[in-house]
Amino acid sequence: MSDINPEGSGYEQLKARQTLAEVLETVLSFEQTAYAFYSALTEKVSKRLRPLVKELAEEEQQHCLLFEDLKNNPAVRAVIAQRIKTPENDHKFSDYIHMPELDENPDDQSILQYAIGREHAAMEQYDGLAQESPNAVLKDTFTWLAQEELAHKKELEKRYYQLVYLSHE
Amino acid sequence: MKSFLTPLKALRQLARDPVTLPIEPRPAAPNYRGFHVNDWDACIGCGTCESICDNKAIHMVDIKGLPENPVQGIKALRPAIDYGRCCWCSLCVDICPSGSLALSREYVHIDQDLDSFFILPDEKGIHGLDYPKGWSKSDDADLLDLKRQAMPEMTADVRIDSFAEIVEGFTKQTAVFEASRCIQCGMCHDACPAHMDVPEYIRAIWEGDAEEAVRQIYKTNPLAHVCGRVCTHRCETACSISVRGEAVSIRWLKRYAMDSVSHEVVKKIATEGKAEQSSGKRVAIIGSGPAGLTAAYDLARAGHAVTLFEAFAKPGGMMRWGIPEYRLPYERLDEDVAVIEAMGVDIRCNSAVGDKIQMAELERDYDAVMLGIGLHGGRSTRIPGSEHADVYSAVDLLHRITGKQDFELPKSAVVIGGGNVAFDIARSLARLQKQAFNQVDVTITALEPEDKMLADPAEVREAEEEGVILYNSRGPRVCTIEQDQLTGLETVHCVSIFDEQGRFHPQYDEENIIVHDAEMVVEAIGQVAQTDFLGEDLIERLEWDQRGRPVINNNGQTSEPWLWAAGDMVKGPDVIHAIAGGHQVAASIHACLQASINGLKGVSS
Repeated sequence: MSDINPEGSGYEQLKARQTLAEVLETVLSFEQTAYAFYSALTEKVSKRLRPLVKELAEEEQQHCLLFEDLKNNPAVRAVIAQRIKTPENDHKFSDYIHMPELDENPDDQSILQYAIGREHAAMEQYDGLAQESPNAVLKDTFTWLAQEELAHKKELEKRYYQLVYLSHE
Repeated sequence: MKSFLTPLKALRQLARDPVTLPIEPRPAAPNYRGFHVNDWDACIGCGTCESICDNKAIHMVDIKGLPENPVQGIKALRPAIDYGRCCWCSLCVDICPSGSLALSREYVHIDQDLDSFFILPDEKGIHGLDYPKGWSKSDDADLLDLKRQAMPEMTADVRIDSFAEIVEGFTKQTAVFEASRCIQCGMCHDACPAHMDVPEYIRAIWEGDAEEAVRQIYKTNPLAHVCGRVCTHRCETACSISVRGEAVSIRWLKRYAMDSVSHEVVKKIATEGKAEQSSGKRVAIIGSGPAGLTAAYDLARAGHAVTLFEAFAKPGGMMRWGIPEYRLPYERLDEDVAVIEAMGVDIRCNSAVGDKIQMAELERDYDAVMLGIGLHGGRSTRIPGSEHADVYSAVDLLHRITGKQDFELPKSAVVIGGGNVAFDIARSLARLQKQAFNQVDVTITALEPEDKMLADPAEVREAEEEGVILYNSRGPRVCTIEQDQLTGLETVHCVSIFDEQGRFHPQYDEENIIVHDAEMVVEAIGQVAQTDFLGEDLIERLEWDQRGRPVINNNGQTSEPWLWAAGDMVKGPDVIHAIAGGHQVAASIHACLQASINGLKGVSS
């Protein structure tokens, strides 16, 4: 998940990047911020919720590793081009309408709603950047990043549905 | 003279060509009883053929790699035939519930190896020659009664303004008829989470001995009235008769047995075998739902002093506060509870742990503690508008209805959910509306399509008969509010509920919108355990899983060696699973207590 927010500086930061390496470097820093956010949240919430938050942090860490690998991969352009050939479909998520505020004492449902909201916002921003970018390589990169966020959002949605709608697995 | 010449005439035959008869056997009659054939795809491995064979010519053989699913009533067993014993009576064919077994028209087998007369028939027969079937299942020869006895129940127009029990129950005659349909295969026993001795109690009913039936029921189930009424009857799903006909009405037979024996006699039967001496050990159980009550019964029976702490005014958990009376009359639940009390369990109502008594005290004062608190918190969709005061959680509202607490009865209501809880609240509201307004205006919106409903099909049918409107494949989008007044629920079409991997992930068509006008919206989706009473200290000490449930081992023991958990809060999803969990925990606690009495280290810890 990226730490860009709809009106915030992340969007502008990324827009200003001129090369693929710069974009990946910035995205990596967003992921690291997200990982740090969930890691910090793990310490704040009740132990009942820690396995859930820890899992979210671990997923962000996986994202960090993915971008790190990609950044150092000489065939990065080919990899991205290959990945965007199979786009994810966004299916509407009825329960989630807007990104909720995460209060001091969140429950499991709020945490997942929040995580979904962040993924959704990031996806929309990458999508917007892909539309605006004149550079073909960067356009591909943002398209791919939007797909990554969408895939993660869908995974979180499934977890949310299982938690909220299915009392038992 | 003639006789003198006869031998000479016979000599003529020496000059004739020999006559050779064909070695192929003559074609057998269409109903010939030759060697067995068995369609392995249709065979469920129930072993009824083996049971009925008087000559002991059939043995069930475990076949590795075949599908096996006790819940679905499928075993990886197939019949092997010993033709040294078989008399071709064909009773095995006539009784076969799946109709997979038949006799072919093949009847010749010549071999000096005796082992070759012991075969495992498949659909091609003894020599793989695909002979046509001879004696096979026919309506004339079928030994099974495929149709169940009708269960009399109140019609919709009579029951709609009443919370009286809908089902009337079997008479002695219909119960015996229904019991006689059972072929004693035991698939029900394997499918039941509590492994109830179903064939045994059905046989006792058939023999007219209801007391013996109750005795068999109480071997594995201390909530017999409850399960005779609201059990999800997985036994019936696995019933062999259901392959070609209607499953035996196992649940209703249990109900019949319990209703036929007086409460005092039931108490006497249930307390048979109780330990005569006290163990001197004390066990605290939190929550008097099915898991807690079952564990309490087992532990008290084993001689331990059991105290059951119940937060609400009466015991029973969701069986009382979540299931409407028209399905489970409370006096029947009270009878089950009274039997458990008769076993010596001390049930303390209005005793919420965390309030009058703390977990730390239980840890200090008792030898073992069990959590059986259920899922009494209703989940919210958290769609926009769901925070409105007229949007209720189904579990809260059912609790109010049971407790006869006041709430403003709406003239119109819409329920979100497709499970039994959604139908329980919808049908309860419908009854109250009929009583108050002489009309019913309740709508259920379920994510699931009609053929994938989570609720019991009988619930769906009865709700529709009572005037409840059901919308399938609808997902909630927004609770509509005008000038602070709730006006209804907007739903979108749910195009699918599972993803490619079969995981629950509803997807919607946002263009397809329906607005359901209503004064009240009820959310009947998932439920959650309320564990705050444990206190932060214990919460920190316990291990938890990703769903916020305490981690338990195979015996139901948590990461704290003195604390166990069972029932909905850790497993679910229904009463009979909670009963099974209660037994499991009781056995584990008993083993630990016995070990400590004997000066040994606890097996589980």
